[in-house]
Amino acid sequence: MSPNVRNRLRDLIPVLLFAVALWFLPDLLRSWSGRASVSYLSLVTNGLGLAVLALSWDILARTGQLSLAHAAFYGAGAYVTAILARLEVGPLWLGIPAAGAFAVLLALGLGVVTLRLKGIYFAIATLAFTEVLRSAVRQLPTSFAGGSAGMNVAPLFRPAFDPETMERWEIAFLRNEGYFLLYAGLLLLTIGLSLWTRRSRLRPAFTAVRTNEEVAGVMGVHPARMKLLAFALSSLSVGMLGAIHAHRVGSVIPEGAFAVSTTVFALVTPIFGGLYTTLGPILGAGVLAGIEETLKRNLADGYLIGYGLVLVLSILFMPRGIVGMVRGIARRRRAARAGVTSEGGEA
Amino acid sequence: MTADANAVLEIRSLAKRFGGLAAVDDLSFHVRPGEIFAIIGPNGAGKTTTLNLLSGLLIPTAGRIHLSGREIQHLPSFERTHLGLGRAFQVVQPFPEMTVRENVQVGALFGTPGIDRAEGDRRTDAALERTGLTRIAGQSAEELTLLQEKRLEIARALATDPTVLMLDEVMAGLRPGEARQAVELVRDVRESGVTIVFIEHVMPVVRDLADRVLVMDHGRFLAEGSYTEVTADPAVIEAYLGRDDDGTGDEDPDRDDREDPR
Amino acid sequence: MDPILILQAVVSGVLASGLYALVSVGLALAIGVIGIVNFAHGEFFMIGAFLTYQLFVSFGVDPVLSLLFVAPALFLLGAVLYRTTIQYVLEAPELNQMLLTFGIGIVLQNLALLIWGGDPVSISGIAYRSVGFRIGGISVGLVSLVSFAISIVLVGSLYLALSRSRTGRAMRAVAQNRIGASLVGLEVNRVYLVAFALSALLAGIGGVMIAVIQSPTPTIGLAFTLKAFSIVVLAGLGNIRGILAASLVVALAESLVATLVPNGGTLSNAVFFAIIFLALVWRSRRTA
Repeated sequence: MSPNVRNRLRDLIPVLLFAVALWFLPDLLRSWSGRASVSYLSLVTNGLGLAVLALSWDILARTGQLSLAHAAFYGAGAYVTAILARLEVGPLWLGIPAAGAFAVLLALGLGVVTLRLKGIYFAIATLAFTEVLRSAVRQLPTSFAGGSAGMNVAPLFRPAFDPETMERWEIAFLRNEGYFLLYAGLLLLTIGLSLWTRRSRLRPAFTAVRTNEEVAGVMGVHPARMKLLAFALSSLSVGMLGAIHAHRVGSVIPEGAFAVSTTVFALVTPIFGGLYTTLGPILGAGVLAGIEETLKRNLADGYLIGYGLVLVLSILFMPRGIVGMVRGIARRRRAARAGVTSEGGEA
Repeated sequence: MTADANAVLEIRSLAKRFGGLAAVDDLSFHVRPGEIFAIIGPNGAGKTTTLNLLSGLLIPTAGRIHLSGREIQHLPSFERTHLGLGRAFQVVQPFPEMTVRENVQVGALFGTPGIDRAEGDRRTDAALERTGLTRIAGQSAEELTLLQEKRLEIARALATDPTVLMLDEVMAGLRPGEARQAVELVRDVRESGVTIVFIEHVMPVVRDLADRVLVMDHGRFLAEGSYTEVTADPAVIEAYLGRDDDGTGDEDPDRDDREDPR
Repeated sequence: MDPILILQAVVSGVLASGLYALVSVGLALAIGVIGIVNFAHGEFFMIGAFLTYQLFVSFGVDPVLSLLFVAPALFLLGAVLYRTTIQYVLEAPELNQMLLTFGIGIVLQNLALLIWGGDPVSISGIAYRSVGFRIGGISVGLVSLVSFAISIVLVGSLYLALSRSRTGRAMRAVAQNRIGASLVGLEVNRVYLVAFALSALLAGIGGVMIAVIQSPTPTIGLAFTLKAFSIVVLAGLGNIRGILAASLVVALAESLVATLVPNGGTLSNAVFFAIIFLALVWRSRRTA
């Protein structure tokens, strides 16, 4: 079996297992916890959403573009589907791919304009972009986009209530299940994108651009194309996530759709889990979503402090994230067992 | 200065100005296919700036650069690489988190457009073989000795399948035994049909390797010819002697600030 | 267009620019001397404001007096933060520095939100708050005028200190060449510590003033961080006079938009960020 095929299988099998697990999870939860499964399902869904945010931010970070505009695409996606729903242009679900497409266009625009910006300048430009976008949306005519008060968004799932076969809470469950499956689908798509950038020739290209754009160029890599591609892949998922979330929550409002906290979650999670990997953001999302519930319950309004602390402690003690730390330990064990250092003679 | 119709690389009146300072001024020379061409000169002569202009890291203020007859001075770096102009950097920057092999693969896969996985692997292996890196191909690029790093730098550039390979002070920091190996490698690369243009300070290496030498001073053409010829040239001798204490002031255009990690 | 109105907007803008310059100069110190991109800089400003508010509300301390407390408190905070976290990421990639300070900013901001809530707080009942002058048709608040004066004096003093004093020279030496400076015997880490603590102090003083001039919320920190960064970027690193100029430009733009454009108040923020965005992009194209 050639190494390429082996790699593909090594990726595909866990993903398939994951997909199967996700498929059966709602029913399992329902039989285990009955009524409580409604909120559990919602929790898991949040975790899935966080994973999408994290994975998509990570893809962009691979080209060295540390974007603080994630919330911009999220919000844009939310508003696209909200506006399309209000205009009744077509079936409700159409808003989701439309949101993705619009987010990609927006990202390409931003990407082109910021091509020459690096580091902190890029970050600030993207943050400024988000602020301007939020203000702009707020100024849109109220009949069109709801102004600063926002507007309602029609839900995607309206399960019918049949008093003979269902209990009341099962309607909520069915609704949650619908969104859960959508989130799961989006997550699988994003995982696919993330793996693609890791297994294909995009990996050396992205890493080269991230390390040193000039050297990458001399190696024949087209830096602008790579950066824009990363932007597009990244924003596709976030845009759709924003759209699905808008339907799930039932409304969009400028402060919420473009909230800085979205960006914060998007970047803290992969750093905590391990940047430039696929497992890292997912792992980070799982852990943080779990912690978040605890934090929210105990700290209420201040739970973001927890996030801040996680970020600070991660940078100080775990700069390579969970995955990086585990790999580092494994590497050191291997070296110790081999008994020799990697100091080879002249090649 | 007559233009050589067979030149693989031709530079005409190349100039680069930074504000009021001319780092390179009215520079013209040509390189013949298959030769080893050295660029030397005292500190601040503009050698690295010239290389940067050639590889596309800087855009010239004036002048023209022809590669195999084609004008390239306005093309971005990656296009020049696709056309066959390769470069190994002075301060080696291997791509971290990747093995030696993966590093070379970047050059192999992207050095020429339209390379598929199989061909990329072939070129990678060839480049590793040529630079003697096959044994440590699986090692992380972050754990290399200086000589290994320099080999990697050359391997990466070779993998882009260049017609002309530019080397920037490859010998810097190498011990005599290592330097000898590097010289052998450069000769080897030339044997395979690649034209070499290199900047060097270590004169014995220039004497051993170079077919022709260009001497620059203050960004300008000073002399050109064989090693013996230029080292006998009184103007060249004066340029080197007069620069003993490098009184060029604080701005050294020859220093590539981009390589400065700070 | 009423010329008096425009003139008023200009005057208000000029007065506001002092505060911007003060906060930005602190950030420029951190970036220029230490090389740290401090995303939490605005939080020092916010903490200064809220300490002032709390001192007033709990102990009736007049804001002018609280300067004596807030300044050293923030100096101490900066020093502590430097020792416990910042100094460990100085050699790390810029990404890590950004994220670390971003995290610190989040913690500080949300701590403040937890303590004081999200609503604006105001210091009311101080006599001099409503004192003003009228020259021609232009009204100028006493507090604004004094803040402007203090800011200019502080920025000017910093400029002088950097060029004349021993510590100032040490800072400039370290900024230009860290290795060289340490070879000559300068204790680089101590210089960094002082610079960072000083940047916190300057921002904090700005905070005291904003507490009297406006009604701040704990979220102004991030907004001011961005504004300070933008001004520093616009001015070019190491250029204190440039910071004064850039602060003026930005403050004037905000003031004019707020006054002359209908519904301008809500827009001024967007205008600010639009200016930053355009300035950053324009700059990046110029250095091709």
